[in-house]
Amino acid sequence: MKTRLFKYILVITALGLFINPNCFAQKSVLKNYRVRFGLSTTKQADNSRLLEVSFIAANKKDRKDRVPVYDADINFYNVTIEEDFLLGTAKTDKDGTAKLTVPADYKYVTDDEGYINLKAEFEGSKDLKSNDDQIAIKDIFLELNLEEVDSVKTVILNAYSLDSLQTKVPIDETEIIFSVRGMISNMPIKQDYMSDGTFEFEFPENISGDINGNVDVFASILDNDEYGNVIQKKNVNWGVNKTIIKETNQLWSDVAPIWMYVVLSILLIGVWANYGYTIKNLFSIKKEGKELETKQED
Amino acid sequence: MDVVKRKKELVKEFSPLLEKSTKTSKIWVGFLIAIILVGLVAFVIQFRKGHIVTGMRDNVVWGIYIINFIFFVCLSYSGAFISGILHFFKTPWKNSVSRIVEVITVLSLIVGPIFILLCIGRLDRLYFLFLYPRIQSPITWDIIAIMTDLIGCFIYLYLTFIPDFAILRDNSEGQPKWRQKVYKWLAINYHDTETQREKLHKITRTMSAMIIALAIIAYSVLAWIFSLTVQPGWNSSIFAPYFIIAGLYSGISVIIIAMYLIRKFYHLDHYIRKVHFIGAGVILLVISLLYGYFTFSEYFSRWFSHKDADMKLLDTLFNKYFWEFIFANYIGILVPIVILFFKKFRTIKSITFAAVVAILGLYMNRYLIVVPTLETPYLPIQDTRPEYIHYTATWIEWSLSFAGIAAFILFFILIMRLVPIIPMSGIIDHEREEKKKKPRII
Repeated sequence: MKTRLFKYILVITALGLFINPNCFAQKSVLKNYRVRFGLSTTKQADNSRLLEVSFIAANKKDRKDRVPVYDADINFYNVTIEEDFLLGTAKTDKDGTAKLTVPADYKYVTDDEGYINLKAEFEGSKDLKSNDDQIAIKDIFLELNLEEVDSVKTVILNAYSLDSLQTKVPIDETEIIFSVRGMISNMPIKQDYMSDGTFEFEFPENISGDINGNVDVFASILDNDEYGNVIQKKNVNWGVNKTIIKETNQLWSDVAPIWMYVVLSILLIGVWANYGYTIKNLFSIKKEGKELETKQED
Repeated sequence: MDVVKRKKELVKEFSPLLEKSTKTSKIWVGFLIAIILVGLVAFVIQFRKGHIVTGMRDNVVWGIYIINFIFFVCLSYSGAFISGILHFFKTPWKNSVSRIVEVITVLSLIVGPIFILLCIGRLDRLYFLFLYPRIQSPITWDIIAIMTDLIGCFIYLYLTFIPDFAILRDNSEGQPKWRQKVYKWLAINYHDTETQREKLHKITRTMSAMIIALAIIAYSVLAWIFSLTVQPGWNSSIFAPYFIIAGLYSGISVIIIAMYLIRKFYHLDHYIRKVHFIGAGVILLVISLLYGYFTFSEYFSRWFSHKDADMKLLDTLFNKYFWEFIFANYIGILVPIVILFFKKFRTIKSITFAAVVAILGLYMNRYLIVVPTLETPYLPIQDTRPEYIHYTATWIEWSLSFAGIAAFILFFILIMRLVPIIPMSGIIDHEREEKKKKPRII
């Protein structure tokens, strides 16, 4: 209860900080929280790069108590020795996440070892300290080919980086995950290490596609220290159309199974025939009684 | 044996039951009518304002109405079952209890379904059930079963009444005209001739067999309304036989209570004797052992399976409903067993007390089958008001429940004013049989 109260106070304070700079923050409450500011990057299928900042205040005592910092201005930079190039600015959303997509054709400045240095920065407000985070990643390229080799559906992935002379350098010993798009999340179909910049495997036969049998295949490198997240995607008509078997014994089916009609009919006919027989006998008793009465009257 | 003379004697013996109207009985009838009137007021309020006046909400959609429905319908099926057994196997002491059982059967089958109507939110759409029936729905099966059973029970009850109507018609001198006309009309010219008697016995016997089968089917259908769903606590393969045993448990208990009250207030000690109570008590003992066994199996398998939903239900039963659970499944079963097991405890009063405990325990058991299950559904309930999760019956529901019980008792009293509660024809038949058995001295 106490923790929840603190949470509400912090949210109101954080909101107040950004909406109205004249508000007073409750420093005593903020003291219980540690601000986490993290930058990550994902190279997307169209070669654009997504920069993402997670800005969250976590309770020092209660790990489950995490309060997102909302509406904070985050600046993203391409850092070089001489100068920091501003890539753009984004505000954190209600989950405390700020996202910026850098177009595929943007020319990053790299350091001597070929790393792109990226930085995200929060300049701070009256009561919330400034924060920043920096990462260095190498730009790599994934080429995903989905081909039928000797009538075998084959997934082929080539991964490389470009050196200063724009020569392809194959990627080695890097974990790669292949998955297909699912309704809720992607379903992994293969997970292995690449050697010599290439990897291939046979596409499974029993993967369900959409109504036309199309399926999205993903090749991903995730949380890699050197490359960050890299995702490549292709659509192919290799999915299997699942035949929906129309089940008959369902409450919502149009008609009941035939056996049900038969059993019910037999039962009802049996019972009601007996009722009919009983009533017929009652009439016969009545008739006999009537005749007897008439005889006695005569 | 002079049958005509004997009939006259019996009518003379039982006529005070039909005519007597003491001050106490008038007050009692007035009290019952008052309860029914309160129930009618409650019904009007519910009809005008809807189910908001009850404790039923989005999650707990069934309350004491459905419990009353199950209770009364089970009572009826068990009555039909017991009555069928008494007639079919020509049980020696059937004369003392058969009419009580038959009246209980028909009345509970009239009162019970009224409660299901009270459960329906849109009564104005009731006819949809008949216009668009779905044969694959257990609700449709239940409607068919109840209607078929109701008609069957009426016919059966009527068959057992015919000889008595004929006796009353032939000996109704000095009775009001309307009563004479009613007896004449209902007796359908029955004169107890050899062929008439044979025919009537034959169809009564066939109907009694039919009623036994029908009761088992209807019982099972009622249980399937619950067990064919996947709700925790309901989805059970033994629910149908469990309901049959539970129904018999309640049926025999109500018969014992009715026997006690009729014996006490109508001074029928000569016909309803201690031996009948002991017989009924021993049957109740056997049924209570079976009922206890089924109850244990039901909860034990749920506990042992450790399925999340079942564990949540058991957790609710052993915490929120702890005392109710103890009363329903320990006191309600063990107390009757202890009383009925030891010979020295088998007195009329203690057997009746055991029956009362059994009835109350069984009613509570029904409550625990319906309400806690609906309070702990498969999908977690989030962001809703507490009253939508927890059920408490309102005064409207209690008023209508008590009105149902009052109507049941009132109709019982009215039927007893029309025909004797001990079948006169049964006594004559029994004496006739006894005479046949006596060896002739040549």
